[in-house]
Amino acid sequence: MTSKLTYLGAISLAAVAMAAATPAYAAGTTAGTSITNTATVDYQVGGVAQTQQQATNTFTVDRKINLTVAETGNATTTVVPGQTNAVTTFSLTNTSNEVLDFALVASQLATGGTPAHGGTDAFDVTNVRIYRDATTGTVGSWDAADTLVTYIDELAADASVTLFIVADVPGGAGAPTNGQISGVTLRATAREGGLAGTQGAAITETTGANTAGKDTVFADTAGVAGDAARDGSHSDNDDYTVQTATLAVTKTSRVISDPFNITTNPKLIPGAVVEYCIQVANTGGAAATSVVINDPVPGQLTFSTGTILLNGTVTAGTCNADGAAGGSYVAPNVSGTIATIAAGATRTLVFRATVN
Amino acid sequence: MRKLLLLLLAALAPAPAVAADQVALDNSVFVERVSTDANGKERILLEEPTVVVPGDKLVFVLAYRNAGAQPADKFVITNPMPAAVRFADAGNGPVVSVDGGKQWGTLDTLTIASADGTRRAAQPADVTHIRWAFQKPIPVGGSGKLMFRGVVK
Repeated sequence: MTSKLTYLGAISLAAVAMAAATPAYAAGTTAGTSITNTATVDYQVGGVAQTQQQATNTFTVDRKINLTVAETGNATTTVVPGQTNAVTTFSLTNTSNEVLDFALVASQLATGGTPAHGGTDAFDVTNVRIYRDATTGTVGSWDAADTLVTYIDELAADASVTLFIVADVPGGAGAPTNGQISGVTLRATAREGGLAGTQGAAITETTGANTAGKDTVFADTAGVAGDAARDGSHSDNDDYTVQTATLAVTKTSRVISDPFNITTNPKLIPGAVVEYCIQVANTGGAAATSVVINDPVPGQLTFSTGTILLNGTVTAGTCNADGAAGGSYVAPNVSGTIATIAAGATRTLVFRATVN
Repeated sequence: MRKLLLLLLAALAPAPAVAADQVALDNSVFVERVSTDANGKERILLEEPTVVVPGDKLVFVLAYRNAGAQPADKFVITNPMPAAVRFADAGNGPVVSVDGGKQWGTLDTLTIASADGTRRAAQPADVTHIRWAFQKPIPVGGSGKLMFRGVVK
């Protein structure tokens, strides 16, 4: 026995060096395949060819259950409060050596948890659904052709499907604010394949002694927190990030002239002209559109017709009193609509009035 | 790094008895598993092929013995690769074929025709057959072991 050990040990070093060069086999030989190795000996005795000798050895390839769930795109999905059907994209790949079904579960990351792309989970999306990308419609994007699913039926070895988590973002009173993140998790669990149209039974790993037939070995890696390696399931996270406009309004005024000092150090006396500037600052992450500004003119003032300037700018917080003529006055309200206030920008509505 | 090797004794059962003036050949296969113990030493275990999944490394062992009454001459052992096993390594002893047994040689002397007519150097994955041809007769009672490695596709 000792000599055999030595002999076998001699090439074991080579095997370790070789391991690094061994390519990864994804699915590989189908489970249940018999591998038979046959060796033959040809020889002569006394110069006469003898009957060929043969020796064979057969074993069965067992079932390796392996799968990968991966978020596609490696980027958060930007959403606005109240948005319906916000989409995150995943792929599911069957790297087992058998056709299998896969049960799917989409879940919310707990508030306070760390989402896929950093930050902290701060709110939950609602109406979470899973769709399977169809080969019709727009492939790779969620559209009407895609099917609402709870499991993937009969996924071939090495085959991959694109899955979408589709959810709604709360609006109204409970709406998330700019920058808040909601994490979601997609987890797939291998189920028995073989019967199209129905989700197969749960799969358990063969424990204890090996059987002569096809055994089951879990080979999956660990997914997100709580998803262990070699449990027949795999998972990945993705997230939604709210990008919305956050508007703040400030109103400033200055005296332009009075009837006596004219424009040199004018005072607020009857007949003086006052210029009001309403600044709307967008500190959010998205542009605000169709911003309507309404300002009632105090009763002690008389609105100066034709003085409204819309979409003006500010410099270091000071109104530039610029912009385009527009807006309207319906006593006592001055109003105007600014088409777009970009994220981080401030725009103004300026008008003048005379002190009574 | 020191490597230890363990064998399952049952797998090395002696070759079945054969009639006199014959050569006995035994064919066995092991799955090679590498585990790292608490001290960081790698241990290579050769196990019986009970649980085998794609990607597993296999060690095929051919044991021969001249059970006859006269020396066996022109002793040649030929082993075609099973279709589901990719050849990995067989040491320096044997010659291999990459074309189903038509041409033989060491792997570095063989080439494979590409679709565009050019030829490339043969790789271990191209091997279809392995052959050991003994230069000297196997004496009466003489025995030995041959081995090669493969990977389950």
